[in-house]
Amino acid sequence: MTDLPVQRLLTPMSPDSQQDFALAFLSILFEGLPFILLGTLISGFIDVYLPAGTMDRFLPKNKFFAILVAGLMGAVFPVCECAVVPVIRRLVKKGLPVSCALTYMLAAPIVNPITALSTWKAFQGQGAEMMTSSRLLLGFLIAAAVGLIVSKLPLSAVLKSQLVESLKNESEAEASHQHGKSCCDHSHEHDHHSHEEPVPDHRLTAALRSALRDFIDVAVYFSIGVSITALFNTGIAPGAEWLDSLAKNPTAAPAALMGLAFVLSLCSTSDAFIAATLAKFSWGAKLAFLTFGPMMDVKLLFLYQTVLRKRFIFLLAIGLFFAIGGISIFWQHLVFQAK
Amino acid sequence: MKLKTRLILFSLAVLGWSGVLLYFYSSGRINHYLAPDFRLIAFAGGLGLAVLGLFNLLTAGQKNDCCHDHANEDDTHDHDGGDMHPVTAVLLMIVPVALSVAWTRDEYSAVALGRKGLYTAPPSTLSPFLAASIPALTMADIEKSHRMTSDGFFEFSLMELFFSSADREMQTLLKGLKVETEGRWIDEKVRNADGSRKRLYRLFITCCAADSQVIPIVLEFGKMPPEFPENAWVKVSGTMHFLLEEGATQPVLVVNRAVAAEPPFEESLMRKKIF
Repeated sequence: MTDLPVQRLLTPMSPDSQQDFALAFLSILFEGLPFILLGTLISGFIDVYLPAGTMDRFLPKNKFFAILVAGLMGAVFPVCECAVVPVIRRLVKKGLPVSCALTYMLAAPIVNPITALSTWKAFQGQGAEMMTSSRLLLGFLIAAAVGLIVSKLPLSAVLKSQLVESLKNESEAEASHQHGKSCCDHSHEHDHHSHEEPVPDHRLTAALRSALRDFIDVAVYFSIGVSITALFNTGIAPGAEWLDSLAKNPTAAPAALMGLAFVLSLCSTSDAFIAATLAKFSWGAKLAFLTFGPMMDVKLLFLYQTVLRKRFIFLLAIGLFFAIGGISIFWQHLVFQAK
Repeated sequence: MKLKTRLILFSLAVLGWSGVLLYFYSSGRINHYLAPDFRLIAFAGGLGLAVLGLFNLLTAGQKNDCCHDHANEDDTHDHDGGDMHPVTAVLLMIVPVALSVAWTRDEYSAVALGRKGLYTAPPSTLSPFLAASIPALTMADIEKSHRMTSDGFFEFSLMELFFSSADREMQTLLKGLKVETEGRWIDEKVRNADGSRKRLYRLFITCCAADSQVIPIVLEFGKMPPEFPENAWVKVSGTMHFLLEEGATQPVLVVNRAVAAEPPFEESLMRKKIF
């Protein structure tokens, strides 16, 4: 008789399972680590060396075009989804339109050179160009669509009430005094005289400390994600067979992988290395995994709550699930019909 | 936890990961885990982690890491605060890596090999991406691109023999051809009532061992096969056949000779280098 999933979970791993887990775990870890390091180093240097007002200067005055440009800003200011939430919180406080901030928040982890490079590298031999371009395009379109919808909503329907209040207060305060200079991607309305000129070696230390902190934040989730993936990959995890059984179902497969992306909470700079190992799943299901994960996962649920209303987050999650799932199924059908 | 302690703890965790990466690269064991073009990237990643960890470790006592002061009381941002307690974060990073380094034997068990396709029927069609990368072959191409042994066997990769099940053109060329190939020796567990069959397999790695696929062919001896240890490297020579078994075309090598072989430099089959 087959073991129940719970029984399997509680049974200590056999030596064979340990050996299989270790090989899968280390191989994914070795493959993804350099890309995480690259991402966090860039993020650390942006954090310290890029003034906060830089993004505003790139945005057109027209709301529609501003949203589209915000969706592409990740190409210039690449940040992963863990780093982007604190950044947009600060940018919203600085007066960046919420629609542009949310577009940037959803698009930047996908539409950026590091994610593009890691996706292309991970999918070598599996249609890398098609997967990379589809991922970037879908990520951009979904983020821009969310931005356009948000631009029609009142702030109170989107942002946390405390943040709305703080925006009101700050806009009043800023009318009398605004100080935009910042050296760590966030501004502080503080006394001009208290801001010391940054010392170059301190900035390097700050940049590398920021990179270390970002690396640890991402590496922890990556380690958990890789562990779970290795358990599924080698058939050790309870439910691995069930997940495999959905792989050939054109509707259930993207839904299952979006669910997996939600649970795994991987970084967008490294999730392609996990997706590429899901050999039994269709290309479209992997696209859904790679687009949904950077926009909505367990860790982001917590991070989003520092900026957004819970009701809005819930509706955003449902909307993203159906929109990304639907487009991925359609795209899979379109691409393979054409072939 | 004090900032200095946290920085030291995080730096040590990063140095630990760096040490593992650099050890696997320098010992050559990384060949079992990554495709060739990822190995140098992994090495660079290991060096980068070492620099990041050492720099932060050596400057952990340095103050004023933030290049501005926090005069505003409302400004409560924390440059070094993470999502979870630092000790929990470090344990979540270190424990799975430490266990994996202790447990790994640099290869999969038979159970995992079974899951990765050891006994799965070979493909009847090629994936669109794979099909696009395989050019059409003629007998002249085979003679030009495959070395012939002194006793008249064409040297073929196991990969070519395996994927020929999905390529009618290739099957026509290979059927009855005398070929030699090498791979790892393992028991045949399906359609082997009289015990005259074995399997020969290699792993095909796209990027890393986790995405690897087992590439097997059936060896038919017509009598009791010779004895080799499981997973031993064996070179076999014989004649190619394609049998219809349970609705699938199965490449079968009817073996004339099987001898123990040295493991090749690259034990797994790899896709071509990108850079």
